Amino acid sequence: MFACLYVPDFSVQAALLPESADAREILWRSPIVILDGPANLLKVTALNDPARKIGLEAGMTKLQVETRGGVLLRKRSLENENSAQTELLECANFFSPRVESTCLGTAILDLAGTKKLFGSSQNTAQKLAWKARERGFLLHIAIAANPDAAMFAARGFPGITVIPPGEEARHLAGLSVAMLPVTPEMLETLDGWGIRTFKALAALPEVPLTERLGQASLHLQRLARGQIDRVLKPVELASKFIESFEFDDPVETLESLTFVLNRLLEQLCDRLLSHSLATNNLRLTLELEVRQRQNENKGEEYKQEWKLPVPTQERKVLFTLVRLDLERNAFSAPIKKVTIEVLPMKPRLAQGNLFAPPSPEAERLEITLARIRGVVGSVDANGLSCAGSPGIVDTHNPISFSVQPFSSVADISNSVAAPGPVIALRVFRPTLETSVELTGETPHFVRLWKKHYRVLAASGPWCSSGEWWNSGAWARQEWDVALKTRTGVGYYRIYEDRIKQQWFVEGIFD
Amino acid sequence: MDTAQLRAQIRTQIRTQIEEKFPAAFTLYRREDRGVIPTGITPIDSTAQGVPLHGLTEICGSSLNSSGKTSVLISLLARASQDRCCALVDASDSFHPQTGQAAGINLSRLLWVRCGKSKVKLRPLEQAFKVADILLQSGGFGLIAVDLSNLGERTVRKVPLSTWFRFSRVIEKQSSALVFIEQEPHATSCAQLVLRVQAEPRAFSRKLLTGFDLKVEVVRAGEKKPVCSERSGFALQTQWA
Repeated sequence: MFACLYVPDFSVQAALLPESADAREILWRSPIVILDGPANLLKVTALNDPARKIGLEAGMTKLQVETRGGVLLRKRSLENENSAQTELLECANFFSPRVESTCLGTAILDLAGTKKLFGSSQNTAQKLAWKARERGFLLHIAIAANPDAAMFAARGFPGITVIPPGEEARHLAGLSVAMLPVTPEMLETLDGWGIRTFKALAALPEVPLTERLGQASLHLQRLARGQIDRVLKPVELASKFIESFEFDDPVETLESLTFVLNRLLEQLCDRLLSHSLATNNLRLTLELEVRQRQNENKGEEYKQEWKLPVPTQERKVLFTLVRLDLERNAFSAPIKKVTIEVLPMKPRLAQGNLFAPPSPEAERLEITLARIRGVVGSVDANGLSCAGSPGIVDTHNPISFSVQPFSSVADISNSVAAPGPVIALRVFRPTLETSVELTGETPHFVRLWKKHYRVLAASGPWCSSGEWWNSGAWARQEWDVALKTRTGVGYYRIYEDRIKQQWFVEGIFD
Repeated sequence: MDTAQLRAQIRTQIRTQIEEKFPAAFTLYRREDRGVIPTGITPIDSTAQGVPLHGLTEICGSSLNSSGKTSVLISLLARASQDRCCALVDASDSFHPQTGQAAGINLSRLLWVRCGKSKVKLRPLEQAFKVADILLQSGGFGLIAVDLSNLGERTVRKVPLSTWFRFSRVIEKQSSALVFIEQEPHATSCAQLVLRVQAEPRAFSRKLLTGFDLKVEVVRAGEKKPVCSERSGFALQTQWA
């Protein structure tokens, strides 16, 4: 058996999909039209039943619609429709792995072997309708022995239709021949003969019909009889996990944006969950509405990527990461399109270890780090991260260091015995420029914070240099000095930059 | 009935009346003693038993003179990072990773937050306190150290007591230690341990700085009041000594 899911007024439903369930319910009851075409000649391409009831129809211009008043106008977005189609296929995929994307708003699935899981055809159809409603679709569902019969029944009859095998012709009898893939010329001929329904076409003798209208008419007749048994063309759904949404009017507020983002992430996480996958890589692209573009073909974009240490399926974690990032940024123009992509991977299967040291939860840690970055900033002037694990750079330059991403799951087993307490150097970043009075080659007075301090003892000079082969060349002459202060003694490290011929205070031994 | 008896009687009456409405009003609040993190410096560990978990600790010392407060912190981080994740909120970005590695800090288990390095409107002190707050809320860190010692003494003194009190109550419910490095103690009774570190002048050995002689004073430990401070001396050596 095959089930067909048909979304009536697909463009309208796709436009309402990002709304909340309550808002969608209210909007669906009010007249809505979808406009498409050039900006100066927008025409109605789709509308819902309340709009039809007040006399609107496809092909009307925007001006004609506006004269009616009280009609909600939405611009057609192919992105939204594709996203809605993916959502529909995902919904169907819950019930069968073999799903065909017949066209926008129509999906056919093979129900072979699912009886034990979902029960009778009627039960399956009800479960499909319930699942689709959960995702925001109002569907026509039909179940029949072949895909085409199911498709015509779904398009022709509202609600749930179950056609027992062998009764296709009887059930489809009342449908109009205009629903068949018939050319306008052939439709005119059939109309001239008084053939307007599937029943009338099915009753015609095959040979005379073929003689008059060709081989194609025989195919149409068999479709009308529900006798065509074709092979389903299943789609592969798990290839890309991308969701996007294009706003009718570009948005400026974070609330409007996060509302849509939440919905898109929910869809993506549902899809990941249904495929038993998780993600550790999230990419966000925001297309900005830039009115004066230098290059007409290329608008301004904001791109951000998050790499998580562990894969996750939790929408809240991903949403909080995105929200915290957006709160930190101010955009130069309103946002007109949002695209989110997640790279799927297998979820982490790790059992909690009773003997593992206490560490922050990997998922929560990312949110904590994002919050910290919101307070201290992401990177400093040198491009080094403001929050992470300190790292040692493979160089002899004593002031160089790196900041690695901090992870609570990495290197937990690697413990090294502490060698024992040592005197720490507390560095000044950036190093303090200073002037030094020398006696011979030894520092005698050091200026520090606008005061001169006498050098009680000095150890040095310790010369080092490196990277003379490139632009980052450095050469220094270090001294460890004991400075007599008003309240005691301070042990400082000073050095002379031999390239700049300038003295600096690197830090204090503390 | 003399005056003292009368006073005692009135006090008992008032106490009885208040205790009915507020049972905890006259209960002495005592912190539970629930483990410590050793600093790795024997004199400190023998006098103060290490840095208390579930408590706020202050390590104080001069910023102009060498006091040894950073060496104590580094030694503490080295011990703590062996078996737990640690965080260092560096208000003046003064941590030296090479020294940390030499002291034995497991750098991959240390979250280093460098305040005041980017174009953020908040001042380093505000950043440091906000980050400490976030880390406390997050949980999972065995040791959270906040280094405020390079910030001006006047600035840190302006931190309201309610902030220290809040920190001490939050850390109490967590299996972590919260350590502040400052020039002077500010948390008053909110701190469970206050250490004051001071370096003694020492001549260079063969024209080489080989180490300090340090004195540590336990200004406050557990229920002890400042008058009960204890002093002990010890020596620390440089990496190359």
